[in-house]
Amino acid sequence: MPISSALIQSVTASLYERSLKKIPEDTKVALRQARGTDGSDIARKTLTIMLQSADAAEQKDHLVCSDVGIPVYSVKLGTRVQFDGPVRQAIVDGFKELAQNIDPPILRMVTNPLTHQRSHAGKDMPIVTFDMIDGASYIEIVCAPKAMGSGRWEALETFVYPSLETIEGYVLDVVIKAGSQPCPPIVVGVGIGGTFDYAARMAKQQILRPFGQTNPEPILAAMEQRLLSAINSLGFGPMGTGGDSTAMAVHIDYAASHGFMPVAVALNCWINRRTGARIHDDGTVEWFE
Amino acid sequence: MSGQTHRLRLPLDLAAVQALKVGDLVLLSGDITISIGLPTHQRMVQELAAGRALPVDLHGGAFFHLSAYLRDAKHSGDMPTALYMNPSTSTRYNASMPALIRGLGLRLVGGKGGLDMASVAAMQEAGCAYLSFLGGGCTPLSEAIECVVSSHWNEYISQFRLTTVRVNQLGPATVAIDAHGNSVYQQLLVRAQDRLPDILARLKTQRQTP
Repeated sequence: MPISSALIQSVTASLYERSLKKIPEDTKVALRQARGTDGSDIARKTLTIMLQSADAAEQKDHLVCSDVGIPVYSVKLGTRVQFDGPVRQAIVDGFKELAQNIDPPILRMVTNPLTHQRSHAGKDMPIVTFDMIDGASYIEIVCAPKAMGSGRWEALETFVYPSLETIEGYVLDVVIKAGSQPCPPIVVGVGIGGTFDYAARMAKQQILRPFGQTNPEPILAAMEQRLLSAINSLGFGPMGTGGDSTAMAVHIDYAASHGFMPVAVALNCWINRRTGARIHDDGTVEWFE
Repeated sequence: MSGQTHRLRLPLDLAAVQALKVGDLVLLSGDITISIGLPTHQRMVQELAAGRALPVDLHGGAFFHLSAYLRDAKHSGDMPTALYMNPSTSTRYNASMPALIRGLGLRLVGGKGGLDMASVAAMQEAGCAYLSFLGGGCTPLSEAIECVVSSHWNEYISQFRLTTVRVNQLGPATVAIDAHGNSVYQQLLVRAQDRLPDILARLKTQRQTP
């Protein structure tokens, strides 16, 4: 049966609220592991209050962070799915519903770049990207609100035939420039190749990847391990006040490119907002992180 | 880092701030003034430059980059309620902070992510320390809110207003810049840059190892 616009709207609103109030389970595990291994006393204390904050928000149905970011949704449409109405507008309406009804209410973060006026709505908000899943009878929606702490430091540079050394050096440069400011320990997503826009999209998709998956490309699997160790050797630590836990994960994807090869680096802060739902054509909804 | 915990009550004298060292923890009580508005900071600097008093006296006090959701009272004249608060990145106020630190008699500033060396110099000169609050600490930090004492420049959106909040045991916050010219942010940045050549060399070796 067709997936209804009303259900998409409702799920869209719920996804945003879940992402604001609960950090993913794998992220809690990573923070606990970091607390167990970090050699810095202040880092272990900071990781402890991070975990306490995440638990408190979840238990009290409260916000983990007051910077609720701007709404960003990644949507994958199964090709066998039918709809009873609009999809994009349902997502717009879902965020509007959320902004009007969430408890506690959220601050106005959506900002007009020309006037700096702030609101809960704005041109092209929410930012929605669409992709297809051939043969699927469901749609997937992932909500990953983007806030100031990590959003400010994401970067992209276009190289010509970069070596792996150049790519890895660039990732480290971006992380050092971000330094203490993106609320570490962070998740680093890297997109290599494709085009300017596609590299950025790959980097964004990679910060949404759950922890613990092995990259199917052996060159990238090795690079992920090397870069994670390298970033954690920099010493910025939790909240950037020192320690061995600057990143929880480095996730990398690539696409065939030309002689020009963009490298994009996306960052997620320690609360690692990413919440997803799969809506099946029988109306059932599966939630995932 | 010493990691000593200080329970402080505002306003603070110079000796109390000079006792804070980078790496110490602070639990803070009393009245703090907060805003994350860029226009708010610029207006504060303009008021100071013009020799006009701010609507709230910050001498010996604390000014933090904390964003608060204020629910306005039903009756005009009554104080709003602060539903929650949480830190924001301080570096975007680098241009304003030295003048505010020197001109307002602040003993504590804070937020997250630190301030640049021009602010560190101003803090050493004025006797002021920077506290790093937990980004993503909205729930526990908000539990410290007792009441809103005052709310000024209310034509701004909630988090841009100049708001004074009474808090009880706010924190723990980490002393990240002390009043002696020590900045953990600068130390860590220099250390990371110093470590980079060795890290890059290690990456090269790892790439060459099958």
